[in-house]
Amino acid sequence: MARKFSNTALNNQLSGFQKVYLILIVGFILGPFLPLIIQSLAFRWAWPDLLPGTWWMEQREVSRMPLAWDYVLSPYSRILEATINTVVIGSIVTVICLAICLPAARVLARESFRGKSGFEFFLSLPLIVPEAAIGIALLMIFIRMGIAGSYLGIIIAHLIPTIPYMIRMLTAVYQGLGKDFEEQAMILGASRWQVLRLVTLPMLLPGVVAGALFTFLVSTNIFLLTFFLGQGKIITLPTLLFSKISGGTLDASAAGITLIVTLPGVILLIISERFIKEEAFGKGFGN
Amino acid sequence: MARSHDSALKERMWLWLQLSPVLLILAVLFGGALVLAVVQSLGFAPWFGVNTFPSFQYFGALWGSVSFWQSLWLTLYYATVSTVIALVMGIALALALVRTFPGKHLYKYVYKLPLMIPYTVGIALAVIMLGNGGMISRLASFFGFISDPSHFPQILKTHAGWGIIAVYVWKQVPFITLAIYAVMLGIGRETEEAAAILGANRWQILSQVTLPQIMPGVVSSTLICFAFNVGAFEAPFILGGGFPDTLPVVAWRYFNDADYTLQLQGMATVVSIALVAGIILFSYLAIYRRFERKIGRN
Repeated sequence: MARKFSNTALNNQLSGFQKVYLILIVGFILGPFLPLIIQSLAFRWAWPDLLPGTWWMEQREVSRMPLAWDYVLSPYSRILEATINTVVIGSIVTVICLAICLPAARVLARESFRGKSGFEFFLSLPLIVPEAAIGIALLMIFIRMGIAGSYLGIIIAHLIPTIPYMIRMLTAVYQGLGKDFEEQAMILGASRWQVLRLVTLPMLLPGVVAGALFTFLVSTNIFLLTFFLGQGKIITLPTLLFSKISGGTLDASAAGITLIVTLPGVILLIISERFIKEEAFGKGFGN
Repeated sequence: MARSHDSALKERMWLWLQLSPVLLILAVLFGGALVLAVVQSLGFAPWFGVNTFPSFQYFGALWGSVSFWQSLWLTLYYATVSTVIALVMGIALALALVRTFPGKHLYKYVYKLPLMIPYTVGIALAVIMLGNGGMISRLASFFGFISDPSHFPQILKTHAGWGIIAVYVWKQVPFITLAIYAVMLGIGRETEEAAAILGANRWQILSQVTLPQIMPGVVSSTLICFAFNVGAFEAPFILGGGFPDTLPVVAWRYFNDADYTLQLQGMATVVSIALVAGIILFSYLAIYRRFERKIGRN
């Protein structure tokens, strides 16, 4: 009887299938990076060799043309320009998004008012209206306003897909916060500004950091809006990579650029794992 | 009395004032773009010397062509197949992640990597893995299946679109997994335990306890992924099979055509994308609400 019970009670260990599955998923996610790294270091890699016949380093002294990594790290690849653009646009978008979403999230978490559910629905619309639909129409508006192909235009456009995420994450944080601490501070004689500075903000900080990181992440990954509205004048890492691989082939320097474009994501991953709690993400999404 | 009415009004104004920046940006940009797309697709473009508003000729021309319906079918096919595959893989991954295993901490870093990097990286990986001269083709030759790259079955640049689907799945499995896993963490495992103690077997727990519980995460993440896939441009542009293209690519081509009156046709395409996505997503949500009522959640 006891044995039967232990069989039916909830198992917390992985089943054999799950162990295999976890390994397969890692292979699926990370596996393709291996040939990518090899490709970036190859000078000649003929089919069907599993490893390059000639490596980039071997040809480095011989050839007068810049090769793979020499090209990637040279100004000709425009990778530095694209990186700076990506980071600058992402940071400004994050700051603006945070500034306009914080008050709105506070209201949404604490007040009930007429039209609230309609407002919340409107806020989530950018997530479910396909980007291509707004991207092209937005380009028409921006051309008329004269901000197509400018930083201003791209930054404004990036706010559209980032606001819904930021609002959701911040609303969840405010809901978890409760009003009690702020009220206590008020009763004890703190001014509105003191309450904000000494009570609300410190308690909000983890959620704010998580929301900011996520917004930055979304912004740095946006391709379509940047590509349509940048008009080729402003390149970011995703659009730079697009122009290198749009022919459907991948040479050594394109492989190198792909690796560099991956790099900020790896850094963000390491940082975000510390700040973004999975539960918080769920509050922003699930319910 | 008058004073309290006054302060209530003041409070309401303060409330809307706090909401206004977000509301303004989304209403002007997002709403404005949508409205502009609709009126242009109905023939309003005085800056091109075109003003036949309201006329349905552009929609008529678009919907009357066979290639539009082929494009629509391709768009929905790629979006649906990849979302379903990513969902199944994501649920299985989330179910494994709630268990304890050695190296779980590291694993939770690794599986999220695609979430952090642009789709274009996924496309580059698809090219190097699935192309005719790609890694899988080389491996097939290594194991003696093929002797020439042209013998390798074409995966990229076909209308079956497995290259596009692979990119979407690769990028979206982590997203769906994270959404579902987060919901699971929020719920805890008590109800599953109770079911187990009451004698439910593994399959019963999964189908009658776990799956209904994670539905909110399933619905919201698949909604977002599906909508994104319908509107995505870069993967079908690079990995697609050429004419007929998916709708976003068609719209882009119209828009970049030297004949700028085709831009109106492009706008009709754009509005069609939004319409189709809207109809599908709303029916999906309606079915889900019905399901929630049926299982007794408000």
